[in-house]
Amino acid sequence: MSDLTLNKVAELAIETGRVILESGGETHRVEETMHFVCTGFGFESNESYVTLTGIFLSVKSPEGEIVTLIKRINTRIVDLDKISSITKLTYNLMKKHNKFVKNKANKPMSFVEFNENLEEIKARKQYPGWVKYVCGGITPSFFCLLFGGSWSEFSVALIMGICVSLILRYLAKLQLNTFILNAVGAGFIVWFAKMAGLNFGYMNTDKIIIGGIMLLVPGLSITNAIRDTMAGDLVAGTARTTEAFFIAAAIATGAGAMLKLWALLV
Amino acid sequence: MISAVNHLWLMQVIFGAIAILGFSIRSNIKGSILIFTSLGGALCWGLYLMFLAGTSSLLLSVFLSAAVVCIYGELMARAYKVPVSVFVICGIIPLVPGSGLYYTMIAYIEGNIVDAMTKMGQTLMIAGTISVAIAVVSSLANIFKTMLRRF
Repeated sequence: MSDLTLNKVAELAIETGRVILESGGETHRVEETMHFVCTGFGFESNESYVTLTGIFLSVKSPEGEIVTLIKRINTRIVDLDKISSITKLTYNLMKKHNKFVKNKANKPMSFVEFNENLEEIKARKQYPGWVKYVCGGITPSFFCLLFGGSWSEFSVALIMGICVSLILRYLAKLQLNTFILNAVGAGFIVWFAKMAGLNFGYMNTDKIIIGGIMLLVPGLSITNAIRDTMAGDLVAGTARTTEAFFIAAAIATGAGAMLKLWALLV
Repeated sequence: MISAVNHLWLMQVIFGAIAILGFSIRSNIKGSILIFTSLGGALCWGLYLMFLAGTSSLLLSVFLSAAVVCIYGELMARAYKVPVSVFVICGIIPLVPGSGLYYTMIAYIEGNIVDAMTKMGQTLMIAGTISVAIAVVSSLANIFKTMLRRF
């Protein structure tokens, strides 16, 4: 316990929280995890306040010393693997405090061990690019079949999905905001489907477009919005709801603009 | 309701599972959980089709299938020690009203305001129903957890 200072624990806790929030976790999960990390290392009086764009954490040592940290969050991506790994990690840390769990190892996790595990999770790579592109093709094409498309529409949607994933990946590198990304994606989906309909004939372009739009819909925002609100975090819930409406508006704008343009030109 | 289960239904369920598998990989889920997230999506879509054939009420089918997927998510999350939201996010995707959004936009562009408003109301109602299902199941799970701790 000698080298385990208040500063180190507070920094570790806020770093853990940052990784979860940037990977698309719920805010109440971030608060809970930071509380677990501080408590697990012996600082039981701690309070945190988390919004979608920042983390505030204050920890008090038993001697009465207080450390407060603020972290600004700028990027948010979807990486559910990191969230589940960190949840498992904190679960292991809390084993000794949880009377419902039988402690098999019978040895509390040390600070160094936790830090090493966290670094390993942070360094974990996402799937390679081509896997994501192929999955970006699979998702809209099978949704196209789900909503009543035929196999010819399936093949168009497959190629369209791969192209959309590629475009979104490269646009994301330009650091454009979510609105423009989704609007461009939806616009490209409509353009591609309409071109296929024009060139191959007898194709229900609606089904292709709907399948493509399913790639962009804000499922994560809807889920997190309602789960945060139910956990009592009204600020984060409202922010997530706004995000969901914002993405939906972006999709509608992109698709609508391209449909109107197509109607005018062709 | 059972009469909806035939080979076409089975095909739809398999397509749903593959679509959700792609979605889960895009969300960067790794390992054996992938199988269970895709199963959740398949469960959601299969039950939705069955309820739709049995009750012919769109919102009731959306509510029931979303609720079942959330219960499935709560159970799987306990078993695998991962957050509930991992299963819920992937499971509800087939129900999210992407088609409603598109048809609203078409009616809007054609200048058909009455149609656009109807479609928009329907889209919002489906999204609201999914939210209510998630909310109901997560509060019930909380009550259940508290009861387990008390007694």
